[in-house]
Amino acid sequence: MNGHAFRTVLWSAAFAILIAQFVRPNHSNPAVSGDLLAPPVVKDALERACYDCHSNQTRWPWYSAVAPFSWWIHHEVEQGRRRMNFSSWTDYTSDPGTEDQKLDEVARLIANGAMPPWYYLAMHPGARLTPGERIAITRWIAGEKSSHTSSSMR
Amino acid sequence: MTIKTLSIAATTAIVSLALFAAFNPTAARAADDSSLRFDAGNVEPASLTLPANTPVKLKVTNAGNAAVEFESFELHRERVVQPGQTITVYIPALPVGTYPFFDDFSHGAVKGEIVSR
Repeated sequence: MNGHAFRTVLWSAAFAILIAQFVRPNHSNPAVSGDLLAPPVVKDALERACYDCHSNQTRWPWYSAVAPFSWWIHHEVEQGRRRMNFSSWTDYTSDPGTEDQKLDEVARLIANGAMPPWYYLAMHPGARLTPGERIAITRWIAGEKSSHTSSSMR
Repeated sequence: MTIKTLSIAATTAIVSLALFAAFNPTAARAADDSSLRFDAGNVEPASLTLPANTPVKLKVTNAGNAAVEFESFELHRERVVQPGQTITVYIPALPVGTYPFFDDFSHGAVKGEIVSR
């Protein structure tokens, strides 16, 4: 590629990125309708590690306003909220089977280290869960599920 | 109007309401149709109509050989159903609308909708 062609490609890319800034996804946080109730150590850990994508209390970083990162982050948050939303947890509790399954997923994904994902941790090192926090979360979930089982047997 | 007349009117009203509740076609349809059956990559019915603004106990059966995961983002429901198992999914009172669901284990290839009307 000669110098002229290279400059053309560079200017085209810069122009495309500039135009992309006008396509702005909605970064609003919907109202919290029924947040998860958990002991402070569990709640703090989940808020720090999970809530940006799995709640209506997302802390939008500055680069979430810059395309094309804004599109990707918006997609991640949208999918995260659809899959599991701690801010509308009471929607799950009206079907105990669903709540138990959501709790199982949290326990499994946190225990095997799949959540938070590596690319999120790369940008948010403070979101990394300590081994103690992972244990606290999985113990709390086991206790919650156990209480559901005993209350359904009554 | 005497007390006797009033009591006859009240009794008639109560009996009428009881008969209406027992033979109301909407209520009967809700009880009969509140089930889904997954089998061999299909779900029947693919479109299930439920009465609006009424909580429903939805029976979900898996007649296939592999586990399915009944999931609906709009209904906030997610349940694994093992082969041969029937589970009960509690559906809250829904406003009029259409609520898609899918089998997450089939990556959405098996899907349907619940219509609340």
